[in-house]
Amino acid sequence: MEDLILELKQEIIAALNLEEMSPEDIDADAPLFGDGLGLDSIDALEIIVLLEKKYGIKLSNASEGKAIFTSIRAIAEYVSQNRKK
Amino acid sequence: MYKISDNILSPLGVTTKENLRAVLDGRSELIRHEHIWSMPEPFCASMFTGGQSESMQYSGCSRMESFAIRSIYAALEGASFEYKGLNVVLILSSAKGNVELLREGDDEANCYRLGASARRIADVLGFANEPVVVSNACISGVSALHLARLLLDSGRFRYAVVCGVDVQSAFVVSGFQSLKATSASPCRPFDICRSGLNLGEAAATMVLAGDDVVGGEGSGSWHIGRTSVHNDAFHLTSPSKNADGAYAALSDVLDGIGTDELGFVNLHGTATMFNDQMEAVALRRAGLASLPANGLKGYYGHTMGAAGILETVLSMAAADEGLLPGTLGFAELGVSVPLNITSDARHVDKPAFVKMISGFGGVNAALFASKGKWRGRRAAGPSVKMSKPSAGQKLKVEHTVRIEPGKVLVDDRLMALPDEETHSFLTAIYRKYVGDYPKFYKMDLLAKLGFLASELLLQAEGGERFSVRSDRAVLLFNRLGSFHADKAYMKTISNPDNYFPSPSLFIYTLPNIVTGEIAIRNLYQGETSFYILAERDEPLMEQIVGATLEEPQIQSVIYGWVEAEDETHFCVDIKLVRLGQ
Repeated sequence: MEDLILELKQEIIAALNLEEMSPEDIDADAPLFGDGLGLDSIDALEIIVLLEKKYGIKLSNASEGKAIFTSIRAIAEYVSQNRKK
Repeated sequence: MYKISDNILSPLGVTTKENLRAVLDGRSELIRHEHIWSMPEPFCASMFTGGQSESMQYSGCSRMESFAIRSIYAALEGASFEYKGLNVVLILSSAKGNVELLREGDDEANCYRLGASARRIADVLGFANEPVVVSNACISGVSALHLARLLLDSGRFRYAVVCGVDVQSAFVVSGFQSLKATSASPCRPFDICRSGLNLGEAAATMVLAGDDVVGGEGSGSWHIGRTSVHNDAFHLTSPSKNADGAYAALSDVLDGIGTDELGFVNLHGTATMFNDQMEAVALRRAGLASLPANGLKGYYGHTMGAAGILETVLSMAAADEGLLPGTLGFAELGVSVPLNITSDARHVDKPAFVKMISGFGGVNAALFASKGKWRGRRAAGPSVKMSKPSAGQKLKVEHTVRIEPGKVLVDDRLMALPDEETHSFLTAIYRKYVGDYPKFYKMDLLAKLGFLASELLLQAEGGERFSVRSDRAVLLFNRLGSFHADKAYMKTISNPDNYFPSPSLFIYTLPNIVTGEIAIRNLYQGETSFYILAERDEPLMEQIVGATLEEPQIQSVIYGWVEAEDETHFCVDIKLVRLGQ
């Protein structure tokens, strides 16, 4: 799980152009939206694309994503249970 | 300004009359499409058939250009003035123009540049003046009418021909799909079951004359006395929860006009959850919630650059018959404000209405139209609000910024360059002179350029920043539109085995996003607009900026040229100006 968390942090930093951040700067349990990493709705959509591209997970709507994307750890758990590649 | 004549060219008909008949009959060409353009996801859209497109094709012109030419020709048939004269301006409104012609690897933007398209259209028709393209995302149509009003009211031109046009392609449809904004079934504006928008193809034209040209009461012609554009300064894709921009636009156009003097409201009504809810809030805030209101996307889909013009023309044509068309797709209200949405056509007895529209980049616009010049409790038109003594005043330049590869000039002084080579030139400039806005890294090249230049410009201005203001407009111009972002997005959809449309890249394929970024950063809720020209033309840009500054609520304008070809070929040259002696 820790390897997957690190991988997700790296992928998200690259996909969302979080230029000045490194994986160590992201708390795996902190909220991604609002007060945490400060991501917004376009970032959520870009994470949906990332999950499909990298892990073959297809989410049909943004609200489904919001429920899963509470923290990096939550995404990692979802990916480990649902990944197709 | 008065409407002299008009045309709507859509899959429902090639004249305004045919379109009105189709709409009143409840017809729609919204069709579910599967397995076209190699797209994996189905979508629902209203599009011209291959046969229709072919029959309307002009030699040497694209589909989009041909539709525009047909529509303008048809509209001009009803006009008796010499449209090839120097007192006529052609304004084209389009969000994505010829983007269907873009192929991966293209490095020559000529085939589909909107400025070149507009010039081709102007040449075929014989217009004398350089055309202007308004590319302000989904509000482009009303934005273009706003520009026409500014140029006619200020006496810079006597006539304006305003044509809105957009066609659909894998590029545009996949982009809206990536934003999860579309529905694969016919859209349901304001309905509780709405699940997204449909896209559509159309061209629509209005031929307009200044008040002085027509004179008197305008012989009962439709008059557009007020138009307004405001930014939410909130988010690039999510509308303001309080409908700030839409409410501000409504407030401008309705100043002094009682709700009881209006016949109806024609809404944007895209059928996305956010848009329709936002419009409901705007109507409540403006005291218009009880007025009959309709939306036309259930007939046409969202025709993007054409929408604002098409829906205004159709509303006028229906009101001429004393009717307000129903809202196809609407059955049960699904917004938090009780609205009076028409499901079926109904009678209207007051030929005066408001048209609303909103789009990405935080933009909102509204116009007020009445049959004959408004003679309500207070007269509409610039005479009411024009308290600013602007006659004879020129643009007074307060500050300038120019950035090009390896060079930054503020007020003509060369700025020290960052002494680091780790980052790209623009990132290094950002780190040295700004540094506190990580969203910069998410921007595309065009937005980065505009953002950085505006930061340096506002640092030169000094004083308090970051408090909400509506008295400053941001008007940017270029030649290539969003060419650089278009190519980047294209890469995410051109390989069927690696088809992952990127929502964050797609957003930047709307060139007005750069103006939205500046508005959001600085909380500017005044007008933001993006214009595309065939070539850089300072006198024309100054005419547009001067006319904007004559609006009573606008005190200053950030305007200029921002061009992003690639990482080593770019230029931004912007100014902060006011009116002065």
